[in-house]
Amino acid sequence: MSFTSFFDHTVNGLIIGNIYALLAVGLALIFGVSQLINFAHGSVYTVGAYIGWASITYLHTPLPITIALVVLGSGALGMLIERVGLRPLQGAARIAPLLATIGISFVLDILVQLVFSPDPRALPTQLPEWRLQIGTGTIGALDLLIAGIGITSAAVLFGFLRFTKLGWAVRATAQDRDAAQQMGVDVNRVNQTVFAIAAALGGLSGLLVGMYYNNISPAMSFQATLKGVVATVVGGVGNVPGAIVGSLLLGLIESYGVAILGTPYRNLFAFALLLVILVWKPNGLFGRKRVLPPEPLTGTFIAPSKPWRVPPRVLLALFAAAVLLPLFNPSPYVLQTLTNAWLYGALALSLTLVAGTIGQISLGHAGLLAIGAYASSLLVLDLHLSVGTGIVVAGVLTSLIGTALIFPAFRLRGHYVSIATLGIGEIVALTILNWESLTRGPIGVSGIPPLSLFGRDASSNEAIYWASFGALVLLALLQWRLLRSHLGRTFRAVREDEVAARAYGVSPDRYKALAFGFGGFAAGVSGAFTAHMYSYINHETFGSQISILALTMVILGGLGNISGALLGAVALVSLPELFRVTAEYRMLIYGVALLLLIRFRPQGLLGTV
Amino acid sequence: MPPLFTRHRFLRHAVALSAALLAAPLAAWAATASGEPVWFGVSGPLTGQNAQYGAQWKAGFDLAIDHINAQGGIHGRPLAYNFEDSQSDPRQSVAIAQKLVNDKRVLIELGDFSSPASMAASPIYQRAGLVQLGFTNSHPDFTKGGDYIWSPSISQADAQPLLADLAVKTLGFKRIAVLFLNTDWGRTSKDVLVKAAQERGAQLAIAEGYQPDEKDFRSTLVRVRDTNPDGLVLISYYPDGALIAGQVRSVGLKQPIAAVGSVYSPKFIELGGAAVNGIHTNTAFYPDEPRAEVQAFVKTFRAKYSKEPDAFNAYAYDAVVYAAAALRQAGPKADRKAVRDAFYKIKDVPSVIFGKATFDAQTRRVIGVKSVNLVVKDGKWAQIDEKAAVASSK
Repeated sequence: MSFTSFFDHTVNGLIIGNIYALLAVGLALIFGVSQLINFAHGSVYTVGAYIGWASITYLHTPLPITIALVVLGSGALGMLIERVGLRPLQGAARIAPLLATIGISFVLDILVQLVFSPDPRALPTQLPEWRLQIGTGTIGALDLLIAGIGITSAAVLFGFLRFTKLGWAVRATAQDRDAAQQMGVDVNRVNQTVFAIAAALGGLSGLLVGMYYNNISPAMSFQATLKGVVATVVGGVGNVPGAIVGSLLLGLIESYGVAILGTPYRNLFAFALLLVILVWKPNGLFGRKRVLPPEPLTGTFIAPSKPWRVPPRVLLALFAAAVLLPLFNPSPYVLQTLTNAWLYGALALSLTLVAGTIGQISLGHAGLLAIGAYASSLLVLDLHLSVGTGIVVAGVLTSLIGTALIFPAFRLRGHYVSIATLGIGEIVALTILNWESLTRGPIGVSGIPPLSLFGRDASSNEAIYWASFGALVLLALLQWRLLRSHLGRTFRAVREDEVAARAYGVSPDRYKALAFGFGGFAAGVSGAFTAHMYSYINHETFGSQISILALTMVILGGLGNISGALLGAVALVSLPELFRVTAEYRMLIYGVALLLLIRFRPQGLLGTV
Repeated sequence: MPPLFTRHRFLRHAVALSAALLAAPLAAWAATASGEPVWFGVSGPLTGQNAQYGAQWKAGFDLAIDHINAQGGIHGRPLAYNFEDSQSDPRQSVAIAQKLVNDKRVLIELGDFSSPASMAASPIYQRAGLVQLGFTNSHPDFTKGGDYIWSPSISQADAQPLLADLAVKTLGFKRIAVLFLNTDWGRTSKDVLVKAAQERGAQLAIAEGYQPDEKDFRSTLVRVRDTNPDGLVLISYYPDGALIAGQVRSVGLKQPIAAVGSVYSPKFIELGGAAVNGIHTNTAFYPDEPRAEVQAFVKTFRAKYSKEPDAFNAYAYDAVVYAAAALRQAGPKADRKAVRDAFYKIKDVPSVIFGKATFDAQTRRVIGVKSVNLVVKDGKWAQIDEKAAVASSK
């Protein structure tokens, strides 16, 4: 790399880092005050961009007015999200608001798409065209504006937090919510203010990034959330200056990563950085060195609730109905939908064990599906194993690889675990994309043989249905046995109070590894089945959206609850199918249904076990 | 424009197109189609990441159906379709496949959009014996799914050598930098292109694959700049192509750019602005091309939607035309197998993309592709040579 190129890569890294910073600051603020990773932040960013587009296109506003409208509009949206979506969930498990933000982001994205059409649009910059020559590269007015707004908003924010009364209240609330409330701070107002500020910043960044690329689309939110979260964690969640430094660092690392290894490695570098930082400094670069564990030391995410026990008689009846169903000649569509539900059910089992029973919220579970799917496909295609053996070996391999990958995250706590697993999921997908000699890269694996068991073809709808249901029931029974054993109680002890468990001589890491190992097997089997059913897979088949879907399933059913996980899987696979008649609106209805469920049953339909 | 005139114009062109496109003997006297419709099913994205392509499909389908039904439909029955939203998600496309397969009225299926979603559903269509016409599926293994799996998607083996001609022969690139969308389509296209360019005496300076959700290309472009190529080739769709074009000059790259035909869209210029001026492409679909099939399609499209058609509209339109040709060929009492057999028999179906489309019995893809060379000039697409190039069929 020549010096000029190094210089250009540095400038590029700083520019893109600046863009991440606009996103990360809002996320950091919200985390600081409400200990919540706001997955709706990317959607607010999209809404902001579209407010800007609409005001330029329809009202012909000059730039300052456009900015003002975007700030006001997104700020109001932020307040609305806090008031309607999150405040009613106070006192519910902390996972409930997290899931609510996922649901809100879902609804917002679809609304934007319905109102503005899914087509990407050009967002005029409204700025002079001049560019400043720096080295071999150039810097334009917009680059400077983005940097200017980044620095200004950071400064204003700093001033607000340091010198205003409301700012003090925000900081007090961030330090100790209960104490602040006892001292007379209106915690709700503080929360709402913070959401408004964060959303205004998020919307503004949407506008600026849209102008920067001259391109906005309703699909832009997920990637924005992902990068914003990584940048925030690198800096130390809840730490505003940390978020800015983290963003710049992320931008630089990505830029240098592209420079050294090439474009396909860009995100691999970003997520590897995330993991290294989490392992090296679990609280981020600028996080406080020693964070006291939350008081009292009970499980971070798990709400005290009384689970609804499903009577064994009902379970047996449902089981019999499910087994006998194909004999009554239902439509293949119903069978296929239920087959999908069984396969997702196995994934949900895996996740509910990890997230529910032992308290490690995983956002990267799709990665396990992918490992299982690739393992079985490649074993059968390249090593000529039989399909049945392939599936079992794939389960074992997923269990081993998955546990090994996740092992560094075991010393993390709470939200950090979810973010680390999110990164691991992305790393798995990117490794599959780039490890061409093994995985065939972007071309994917095609011609995967259909399901066969004991040498007999089992690719008919009924056979796949029964085979996947059988596997699911087997996994569920094993898990049920596990949870009722001494081991299961130890798992829950680790979840409820890791420090206390350690004091009793329990080594949490080993138990976490056991849980991930068992969960990995279930997910791997599910992925392998899916691969043989699809006959073609590539790195996109199991995207990060599936991880979020799986988490939604287990939270919806009730964390740690086996029947709950199965119910969640059946509900979330079949609901979008039920709403099929509503065409373009079906995902909106699905999103709203999800939000209502979280609102009225935050501990999950069947409750946490 | 008064509405009556528009309608009149529309009808006039509908009739002109009918004559040009579908010279079926029955069509001449059959007035309007009536009775129970002949159905085809569609599995494609109406929501989610790829929703824009589903919307473009719909416009193309509806236009083709207008024409076909105005002309008497399929053996006197109207043609109709059932569009199921898959979000281009394999989990949903397999469920949709079961639904369509079980709907006895459905005689052909069109879609899905992406390879993972389409190819996951292929075994179901193949087992049930329902033709899956994957008209955007250029994955090299797509039609290997079985004898019910067909694709009129442009074969990259045909299309990329034409792009190599443009880049190497017309524009004189000796050392080429390729930026490609890192998907099955982009990757396959890149491999064919690089080989074809090398056969024409050019060298590869660098090939960089990027992710579909990538927005920042500056670092990639600096890397490209460091290899000092004398021309860039983009294997992109229009949104990412426009993004790259917008950032190319900011890193000091001044080399000429050629791009694959998928960038052809009015949107490319809207999103790219001044930055796309001077970019060359060769496309199978160009609305100003004088061919009768193209002109009839474009005029009626403008009349119906008051906007410019783009390539995905044309693919969707053509797909329905092929489906209709096969349904006609199969006869009034056709079952699904007869429709499959009809695909082996239909010849020279008038096509916007191919001129005359005929499926190869071995590959189950359409042979050859017509393409014209274009350049963006003062914010408009302009043709740089008179005649369309035709890929030599193998």
